Amino acid sequence: MEREKLIEEMAKMVGKENVLSSETDLLLYGYDASLFRGRPDCIVLPGSTEEVSKIVRFAHETGVHVVGRGSGTNLSGGTIPTKGGIVIHFSRMNKILEIDIENQRAVVEPAVFTLALKNALARYGYVYQPDPASEKVSTFGGNFGENSGGPHCLKYGVTTNHILGAEVVLYNGEVIQVGGKALDNPGYDLTGILVGSEGTLGIATKLILRIMPKPEAVKTMLAIYNSLEDAGKTVSAIIGDGIVPATLEMLDKLTIKAVEESIHAGFPLDAEAVLIIELDGLKDGMERLAERIMEICRKNNVREVKAAKNEAERTQLWAGRKGAFGAVARLRPNYLVCDGTVPRTKLPEVLTKVMEVGKKYDLSIANVFHAGDGNLHPLILFDERNEMELKKVHLAGSEIMKLCADAGGTISGEHGIGTEKKKEMLFVFTPRDVNAMKKVKRAFDPEDVYNPGKVLPEVEA
Amino acid sequence: MHKLRSVRDMPKLDKPFVSLREIVGEAYVTQDPDKLRAYAIDGKKPKAVVTPGTTDEISKIVAYANQEHRAIVPRGNGTKMEMGGIPKKVDIVLSTGRLNRIKDRDCENLTLSAESGLTLGEAQRDLMKVGKGYFLPLDPPFTDNATLGGIVATNSSGPRRLLYGTARDMIIGAKAVFPNGDVVVSGGKTVKNVSGYDMCKLLIGSYGTLGILCEMTFKLLPLPEKEATLGLSFAEIEDADGFVRELRGSPLIPSSIEILNGIAVQKMRYPIFMPPNGNYLVVVGLDGVPESIDRQVSEMSEIGKKHGTLEAVTLNSEKHRAFWVAFRDFSSGLTEEYPNVISMKSNFLISKCGEILGSCEKSAQGLGMDCAFLSHAGNGIMYSYVLAGKNFRSKADSFVALIEKLTAEAVKHGGGLVVESSPLSIKKKVDVWGQSRSDCVIARRLKEQIDPAGILNVGRFVGGI
Repeated sequence: MEREKLIEEMAKMVGKENVLSSETDLLLYGYDASLFRGRPDCIVLPGSTEEVSKIVRFAHETGVHVVGRGSGTNLSGGTIPTKGGIVIHFSRMNKILEIDIENQRAVVEPAVFTLALKNALARYGYVYQPDPASEKVSTFGGNFGENSGGPHCLKYGVTTNHILGAEVVLYNGEVIQVGGKALDNPGYDLTGILVGSEGTLGIATKLILRIMPKPEAVKTMLAIYNSLEDAGKTVSAIIGDGIVPATLEMLDKLTIKAVEESIHAGFPLDAEAVLIIELDGLKDGMERLAERIMEICRKNNVREVKAAKNEAERTQLWAGRKGAFGAVARLRPNYLVCDGTVPRTKLPEVLTKVMEVGKKYDLSIANVFHAGDGNLHPLILFDERNEMELKKVHLAGSEIMKLCADAGGTISGEHGIGTEKKKEMLFVFTPRDVNAMKKVKRAFDPEDVYNPGKVLPEVEA
Repeated sequence: MHKLRSVRDMPKLDKPFVSLREIVGEAYVTQDPDKLRAYAIDGKKPKAVVTPGTTDEISKIVAYANQEHRAIVPRGNGTKMEMGGIPKKVDIVLSTGRLNRIKDRDCENLTLSAESGLTLGEAQRDLMKVGKGYFLPLDPPFTDNATLGGIVATNSSGPRRLLYGTARDMIIGAKAVFPNGDVVVSGGKTVKNVSGYDMCKLLIGSYGTLGILCEMTFKLLPLPEKEATLGLSFAEIEDADGFVRELRGSPLIPSSIEILNGIAVQKMRYPIFMPPNGNYLVVVGLDGVPESIDRQVSEMSEIGKKHGTLEAVTLNSEKHRAFWVAFRDFSSGLTEEYPNVISMKSNFLISKCGEILGSCEKSAQGLGMDCAFLSHAGNGIMYSYVLAGKNFRSKADSFVALIEKLTAEAVKHGGGLVVESSPLSIKKKVDVWGQSRSDCVIARRLKEQIDPAGILNVGRFVGGI
């Protein structure tokens, strides 16, 4: 369809001021936190489910693709409009619709920021557990699409364990309700399949979330290591000893350096690795459990292990972890985040191999990861203006995914497949597995309206 | 000679199933009509029961059935065969009885991969012995008999779901045979995984209508250092509800909160004490470190006093375990006494659990029926059991009326009601799955895409899928 005509039609639906189409806009909405670029035909900012439904129905009838977008923080090229079309930007649908304490649910529109809900819940003494590092700006629509994780997912599970239902606009504009405030609705778990489908199956316009009372006590520890391997072994040993803390995060030397230069979290610059270990729950017995963890750290040659003495110290430690990606971005113009995940016992072994890949390609790799989950985030640093280096980065990234897959792990723990890792899907899935997923895509979106060219690689039927 | 004669005598019916014998071997195909009777579902008898020994054999059986348009009903230990709608067709019952191996027990990684025919009980016994002991945090009904495949396919759960969640929170990988015979692997053995669609979610609770579960990988947890149970009796449902409300909003972390009415307490195969003026029992399960359990027992007892507890009992170790086994197996105990029992499960907003229990009990009394109610009061789920006697036929209309009343209560509060088991005559008069929802359009299309020939468990799922 002609672009001018499309813009005109969209303006009729949502008002002229809510359709963006300047050169700058097309450039801005053509990229996200990944390394990919695309170009939409226009960007539409609907204000209601009805408007979303109208836009999608029109797109379906005229053969235009639709890509949903929140803050564009996803790290796998999930929001890149690879085949043009309409980008639906949800920024106007940003209301917390309901905080229902007695039923332990919250209902939000897709563009509500994760942290905004948490702040709103704090006054009731309630929490929404998943905590992506980008929670200041990550939206619930995005969390839903990507099945986002975060440090506290070790104990509490990822986004999918906390989304109980949604209002979803289907490829033809039809609006359905999946799941609900009540648990165990009969029928297929469509909420479960939609979460993490990266906007390829449907677009959520309302989300029902599980919220819970805030834990009464929390204890945060910092363990400092002279060797990355010892830190990795500690992680396996804690889990192996039957302790599942709320978080078990790890940062390596290069990350520590970047963090200290920008955030001053109090990590020693000469350490090879640090672990941030947090316990939460009832206060009873917590001291004893913390002592058990510190003992495991000592057995694994920790240099120093200490507990945050107060909330300010704890906040400072977390600022260091949550600001890590941003801090690393100061070291070189670009970085590629790998998101490989391995069975937790394989962590020390895989870490060593990741560093070898860095050496092989002569690339600097900073490591920040959800160690307790076996979820690695090697950040490969580079300058995208250097074509040779860029090429090497892609090779190294793919090699890291392969070695995670070979260790019995997978290519993405929480960032998604998007545009970036389609080819690597075949490291972990057979064409048969992919074909089964394609049937799901056809059931939801038979005409490939939503987010085309993502997630599923081409395979023979 | 003998062989020749037996081939000639073989009934015509047998012919199509020659391939089944070729796939699994003579010994693992049953066509003896007497034996088949035990496998009938809602009166429909299969033509054969096949018991494959490997995923590969399942794949071949399903591919064959798909080609021949033969309807397959998967079966574990048969504890839930009365659940779901009346099947449209039953040709082959596929038993997972021989798929009962643990494939990968990796307690250091806190994961277990096992085949679908293994019972949860066997898995737990195995895990208990490793190191300080581990467990799979599921506690559904049929403690000793339910298989992992059956539990997952029906999304069966128990009281401890309050703390640990349900199958969807702990399955991280699955291997299933899809209707075209493809062996499809989803997820893996990492606790976080967003590679591709989360196909495990689609299989959980799908009643075998999309694929036959062969192997699953679960997250494990270390056994808690201590467990205990606190039972508090109340005269009025409002008091019990008041206690539960305050508990839910507190920072205390019980693993389960159950409300039982008097009949449920009487019928429980564990003699938990309730004073004569007690009508409701709230039972709270506690898992954790000893320090936290001691404190929770004392704080909860205090909260109970505020709401008029009549009597408080604490169960430890063996008594605690025995109570929860009896709780989980409540329905099987009841079925022995009342073969025509009607079991229902309603879901609704958490805060309504007391109110709904109260009004459902009144409805039952109004119709002159004895009903046991057990409510997962922290989750908004209630199980209701109508103790239908031998004369149930003459009362069929009243039963249907009660089902409708109980359904309306749940619908009013954001949920619905599923009839989990009932005599066939009742099943014919109601939609066991309750009201249809706006998402059924997608459900139907999923079934059409994945099982176009309609061979897997046809007619038993929501919307007649």
